Amino acid sequence: MRRSFRVFATVLLLAMAAVAMPAAAQTPQEIVAAADKVRNPGQPFRSTDTLTEYVAGRPRDQDQLVVYAKEDPGTRQFRNLVRYIEPPRDAGKMALFDKHDLWFYDPSSKASVRISPQQRLIGQASIGDVLTVNLVADYATTLLGDETITDAERQQRQCWHLDLKAVTDTAIYNRIEYWVEHGSFRPVKAKFFSDSGRLLKILYYRGYREQLGAVRPSEAVIIDAVDSSLVTTIQFGNLQFQDIPEAWFQRDYLPRLRAE
Amino acid sequence: MRRFITSPARRAGEVICAFFLLLSPALAADEDTDLNLIPPAAQAAPPAVVPVPASSATQRNYLEDAFTFTPLRNDLLVPYPPPTPASWEDRLFLDSRDEWNLGNNVTLDYSGRFNLRAANDIPFPSHESVRNDLRELFLSLQPDDSTWIDLGRVNVKSGVAVGYNPTDFFRTRAVVEPLTADPTILREDRLGTLMLLGQHVWTGGSVTAVFAPKVTQPTAIYTNIDLPSFDPMLDRTNAQDRFLLKSSVAVSNDFSPELLLYHAGDRTQVGTNLTVGIGQQTIAYVEWAGGGRASLIADALAYGRQTGTLPKQAPPVIPADATQYFQNDLAAGFSYTPVDTKLTLNLEYHYHEAGFTSQDWRNWFNAAAQHGNIPGVDPALWYIRSYAQDQQEPETRHSAFVRADWTDAFVTDLELTALANINLQDGSGLLQATADYYLSRVWTIGGQATLTFGGRRSEFGSLPQAGGILLRLVRYL
Repeated sequence: MRRSFRVFATVLLLAMAAVAMPAAAQTPQEIVAAADKVRNPGQPFRSTDTLTEYVAGRPRDQDQLVVYAKEDPGTRQFRNLVRYIEPPRDAGKMALFDKHDLWFYDPSSKASVRISPQQRLIGQASIGDVLTVNLVADYATTLLGDETITDAERQQRQCWHLDLKAVTDTAIYNRIEYWVEHGSFRPVKAKFFSDSGRLLKILYYRGYREQLGAVRPSEAVIIDAVDSSLVTTIQFGNLQFQDIPEAWFQRDYLPRLRAE
Repeated sequence: MRRFITSPARRAGEVICAFFLLLSPALAADEDTDLNLIPPAAQAAPPAVVPVPASSATQRNYLEDAFTFTPLRNDLLVPYPPPTPASWEDRLFLDSRDEWNLGNNVTLDYSGRFNLRAANDIPFPSHESVRNDLRELFLSLQPDDSTWIDLGRVNVKSGVAVGYNPTDFFRTRAVVEPLTADPTILREDRLGTLMLLGQHVWTGGSVTAVFAPKVTQPTAIYTNIDLPSFDPMLDRTNAQDRFLLKSSVAVSNDFSPELLLYHAGDRTQVGTNLTVGIGQQTIAYVEWAGGGRASLIADALAYGRQTGTLPKQAPPVIPADATQYFQNDLAAGFSYTPVDTKLTLNLEYHYHEAGFTSQDWRNWFNAAAQHGNIPGVDPALWYIRSYAQDQQEPETRHSAFVRADWTDAFVTDLELTALANINLQDGSGLLQATADYYLSRVWTIGGQATLTFGGRRSEFGSLPQAGGILLRLVRYL
């Protein structure tokens, strides 16, 4: 009986180890790369992002942005053009995010102002922008372990718990903790930290569904960790592939970006 | 990009770790407490939002009421000639910006402001109570993906600095009745110039060529009480032939200098705009323009004589160097955003070689003290400074500019802005603080306080306006 149990236990352990093998065969960096592909397609696209900001539990502001995204073949990083649609006071404003070449354009003053990576984080455009970042391009990853966490739809997800540290000067955040679901490589949760180590944002992905040729998140929930009474949800709508010429990423193109 | 490298030993270690983790999967209860921060209203995915048509981003219309109160000094060393600035004014205006697609790659753009105003120094109602500023009206043709031809009244803005833009050549005379000293807002209500503009943008840069024809004669500087009601005021923008050629070229990933060549009347200027990122928080910038011109004083007196404001044969009220030689304009500074804040600081140094030297300032005050009793002397002295304001050029040679903008200051949707413009030659200056609170997606309420300081023999201490208070309510349509 005891021997039988030992054999059974050994077989069970070996079976479980075999199940674990495919997961372990992925390097942490490969996990992040696969998760990037779940979030971002490999070709240029646009989306209309609706951001709803909750203050102390109540919806307060709603912004809409059109994000045009295209991967730079050299850096494998996405470059974004953001056009504000809502609220009315910001309608028509635009931003160009291309590595360190960041510009903000206001049609009222017809002025293009260059902004720093830190200044990029001010304002809602940064949220829509950050969500297209290919993390694998800017971060080195280590596996902290496996964890079962609850996602934003209250489902238990078995995840890789990853620690990402910035290795390029174009990385927006200094450090990210990242939870990616086993098997599906779906990003479930992320925590973003500043250079000083301060927790800035907590992010959950939810609403996975078929769009742009794969199952991708249709919504993100962002909790402001500095002021936890602030929560923002982002719905990714009207996703479609779109040809985006390289000239669009010139600052002088910003005033010419037409609404479609 | 640095790839994560795994050795066989490390991989084996990961397998073992994964194995044991699988045996006892961690339930990250601590992580799950973060979910409690999501408010119930946002727990479930909200119903699919119907996106606002992107075409709505081509228009912005708002109604604003702005009340200004301006305390005046009554102990001026150089008395200000009539009309004195209004001590109070209320302005209700409809500000519109729109674009229509006419098909065949042609769009029509309009931008303007319709004002109803009342002030202590203008009769109400009168034609001065109703004014319209036609900022822009132009057709834009796009013959291919990256080429545009614009024809009509267009606002062309150049420059990378915030407080003063030497390369913003079309700024002259274009600002009508400013409500603020904030240069970033001043540009929102300025007149465009009637022009033909061609632009081509390619992967590595862009080139823009502009021809703005002379369609009328130069006119006298306007005051608060003689602004036309419905008039495009082309005399402000098209009183001489002007040409501009500018190009930016991407030298590296984050360095794209812009070069400019500008010709107006009998003067030619060249200029450049440079920006460079320093770390994650700082953008440094330099904006320079240079060309042959006379001093500000000589230019002002010549313009006054040309437009009939000053007697043609009258001698200069103060020494004026009318010699034309190469003079420089410079704005150099940086923006800085501290980590983990929504605060942006700008600090700039401005050099305007044609502006008042310290000796010019002494001459200006001494002329009033010695000859102010002669009719026409004080108005001529003030005319020089009005000319500088009308031309949107600094009065003095050396100045500093500081601006701070704080988004979501103290509470969400409160934006605070503070700026200072300091004359480095006499230490006088202007301070302005603005608070705007976004009550909702369509309502904004705001206030602004302005203060000028300095000795009586200083640039800002000699102004008739001691400061000002502005209250405003905005409804976006």
